Amino acid sequence: MKAEDSEAAVRPRPDSAPLLIAAGIEKAFDRTRALAGAELEIYPGEVMGLLGANGAGKSTLSKVISGHLTRDAGSITLQDRPLNLRSAREAIGYGITMVMQETSLAPDLSVLENVFLAELGRPGILSYRRLKRRAEEILDRLGQRETLPLDREVRLLSAAQRQLVEIAKALALNSTLIIFDEPTASLSPPEVERLFQVMTTLKQSGHTLVFVSHRLEEVFAITDRVTVMREGRTVAKSLETASLRQAELIRLMVGQEMKEVLPIKPNRPERPSRTPVFEVRNLGSAPVVRDVSFKVHRGEILGLGGLVGAGRSETVEALFGLRPRQRGELYLDGKQYAPRRAADAIRAGIGFVAEDRRVQGIVPDFSVRENLLLGHMAASRKFGLGYSQRRAKLDDLIQKLGLPAERLETSILNFSGGMQQKIIIARWLLLEPSLLILDEPTKGVDIGTRTSIYAMLRQVAGTGVGVIVISSDFEELLSLCERVVVMSDGASIADVPSEMLNEEKLTLFAAPRTSMEQNGAILRDIARDLKGAAFWILVDQERLFCLYTSVINDQADPGFRAGETPMIRDTRIPAALSSRSEALVLERENQLATLLVSVRSDRGHDMGWIGVTLDGRTSLAPAQQLRDRVESFLGRIIKPQ
Amino acid sequence: MNSTNAQRSLVSDLVGRLEIRMLALAFALGAALSILSPHFLTSNNLLNVLDQSVVVGIVAIGMTFVILIGGIDLSVGSVAGLTGVLLGRGLEHFTIPVAIVLAVLAGMAVGLFSGFLIAHFGLPSFVVTLGVMAIGRSLAYIFSGATAIADLPENFGNIVYTSILGMPAHVLTLLVLYAMAWAYLNFTKGGRTVYAIGSNREAARTAGLNVLAFSILPYVISGGLSAAAITFASAQVMSIDPLAGTGLELDAIAAVVIGGASLYGGRGSIVGTLIGVLIMVMIRNGLNLLNVSPFWQGSAIGAVIITAVLIERLLSSRAFSR
Repeated sequence: MKAEDSEAAVRPRPDSAPLLIAAGIEKAFDRTRALAGAELEIYPGEVMGLLGANGAGKSTLSKVISGHLTRDAGSITLQDRPLNLRSAREAIGYGITMVMQETSLAPDLSVLENVFLAELGRPGILSYRRLKRRAEEILDRLGQRETLPLDREVRLLSAAQRQLVEIAKALALNSTLIIFDEPTASLSPPEVERLFQVMTTLKQSGHTLVFVSHRLEEVFAITDRVTVMREGRTVAKSLETASLRQAELIRLMVGQEMKEVLPIKPNRPERPSRTPVFEVRNLGSAPVVRDVSFKVHRGEILGLGGLVGAGRSETVEALFGLRPRQRGELYLDGKQYAPRRAADAIRAGIGFVAEDRRVQGIVPDFSVRENLLLGHMAASRKFGLGYSQRRAKLDDLIQKLGLPAERLETSILNFSGGMQQKIIIARWLLLEPSLLILDEPTKGVDIGTRTSIYAMLRQVAGTGVGVIVISSDFEELLSLCERVVVMSDGASIADVPSEMLNEEKLTLFAAPRTSMEQNGAILRDIARDLKGAAFWILVDQERLFCLYTSVINDQADPGFRAGETPMIRDTRIPAALSSRSEALVLERENQLATLLVSVRSDRGHDMGWIGVTLDGRTSLAPAQQLRDRVESFLGRIIKPQ
Repeated sequence: MNSTNAQRSLVSDLVGRLEIRMLALAFALGAALSILSPHFLTSNNLLNVLDQSVVVGIVAIGMTFVILIGGIDLSVGSVAGLTGVLLGRGLEHFTIPVAIVLAVLAGMAVGLFSGFLIAHFGLPSFVVTLGVMAIGRSLAYIFSGATAIADLPENFGNIVYTSILGMPAHVLTLLVLYAMAWAYLNFTKGGRTVYAIGSNREAARTAGLNVLAFSILPYVISGGLSAAAITFASAQVMSIDPLAGTGLELDAIAAVVIGGASLYGGRGSIVGTLIGVLIMVMIRNGLNLLNVSPFWQGSAIGAVIITAVLIERLLSSRAFSR
């Protein structure tokens, strides 16, 4: 299913000559240096991961290599010949194509016409029949003939289908080196899976691929080797993916500032009170949000974790009245709360910093002051502006932001992304909310400002405000939040104190249900086969994390469910869980017999335990026989990276 | 972001104030005209300029609101024609104030119709108001029987020629309307919401502003003011023609654009629009005084529009590249 399968077939050949070498590449836009000594070395037939945080220069380097941008300095050699591209068109002539984030397709033309767009410009008569045959052949090669109707107009396609058109277009041009720039950014998990299949197929047919991303799990899943960039520089060149660990990669991506930015654990305030400020019960909001429940307490920072497409943004938009809700109840300060519009939410005391600052946050033609007062304007029921009533609080806030008062009237566009973000956050603080929701608050924010945003959020929570933070950066989530609610496929599936989590556990929880569903089916098979209960857990000292359970026989219920994190002593099988021995362990109290099998990933990572619990009062097979039985099923288990 | 930038931004802030740029242009134009023609700088002629500014000036206020939210209202001319005819019919049955109020309400109703279609269904304003433009003119013909209504009450002309504080009533109305629009756009929640919607609709929505209501309001204002404008126009000539207001939308859009508003919304000012109106009327007036063929007036105004937009683009692209 993933790239590992094919590694044996086409191994990267570091002993052969590199296909492309980029050395000392520099590129400046105006006064901003996007690239300052970027390096890249690609061998034929490999999948090279190009990794880096936002603004590291990945896209710029890709565009230089594919001729979309010209470099200021440095050299590129393609198969030992120097390459000086002046346009993307020229790059295509050398077999280099880039599949862009925002696709470069003509929306009103058909799939077929787009695939052969370059040929439409050639003189002579087009044979649609011949083109169609060629297109079908290309799609067959990708194994995607079903997914892509050739006569459909491109604007009617999903983002994932458009990407396939781009890939087919690259193949129609006989590209040998295809660069994918953040190809998974707008895809759902199953679509990502399909893209990876296509990429694997391409690799097997001898193409060389560059995979640009900042998502570690994907880089691990698909690449052979990884090049890491930071601040326009290559900081690690061509590392073997298999030899890497996530933590190393993160360190490379983020650099030395890491420790300063992300203290291992937040300094939690002493907080005896656990008064919930906000509670969500069984929220449903079509089409994405199916069943979400959680509580936020006063003075707490709650993380909403999960992968892109899990429905986190949609959930908070529904809480804020920006999306209609079909199901569920909301309670704010213990009182039922049902916003119909965002203004209702704001008046009730909720603030919301949306994910895309440029599109959903700032009003570009407004001054800093008016951007700060936008939330006030929504809350106000007055005809006039009523700015003066917020003056004292405003003065106080801009002082805390470190914003000189005389710059209050200047355009917000004069400020850095980080400062803009702080201004948007302050927009809500001005209203003294009881709940503040932030969707990816540090996206596209430089590292220095990140620290101050974290400090700001901790301080806000310190004043008793409940804070919800959505982040795809698990490390950020774990260090900033006290508790993490994990979402997957539109449902909240776990609610875990973050001190018990690490990135790997969080990734296991967040894995899309589609792959977990298969694992669930396997556990179900085991439980059915042995007429008991089967489960998949992680154990951390006195506590366990349940990823999945399947109970066929109620007598054999181990006493926990998927997403729960009970103490071992509170389950129905404490003896087995605390001893974790090879043998079949019989509980004295309830006669439950449990067998635990340890699971490890191909790379030797601890993936927890698969367990079976049986009713010990019935006759049981010997432990070894049971173990063999369980292991015979486990060959099929899918391990999220 | 550093000190040299701060200095530069002070200078560019002054130059950047589009009202100031446009005011300078208006004065330059006025100075040139007063040198070219001895008749230009007489109180009579200046009053004449104001008199000619009233109709397009009032319509341009509504157009400013619409353009500020990123829309366009092509129907103002035909709404003026239609509400003019309704006013004429109303005057047959009601007193003058009642007839005027009814005409203005009718204009607002048309605006509400267009605005609702545009804001609620997300239809392009260009298309909706193009449709309303055709419907409005057709209804104007039907309700008027395709002939001009000339038998208006005698004292109807008073709404133009009564003098208040030494100023004709319609000119005073124009100035009062501009003052109100200026105050509304700058000092009320609704006015700032209009700007916010035009600048970034999604951000306005996310921040909880009432985007739907304030996306409709500009069209309602525009419809009502079209009716108000045609009331003065009818009183000026003491006759109501179903063809009245033809081409008014182009003059109004031109005035707003010359006044520095961005057709993408979010940028522009009511003071700029007033200056834009005055520039246009001054050009017409000046060309008349200089005995230039009226056929050339279109070319002159067109050139001013294009120049104004070009200057705007050059200045703003410099601002972006900074």
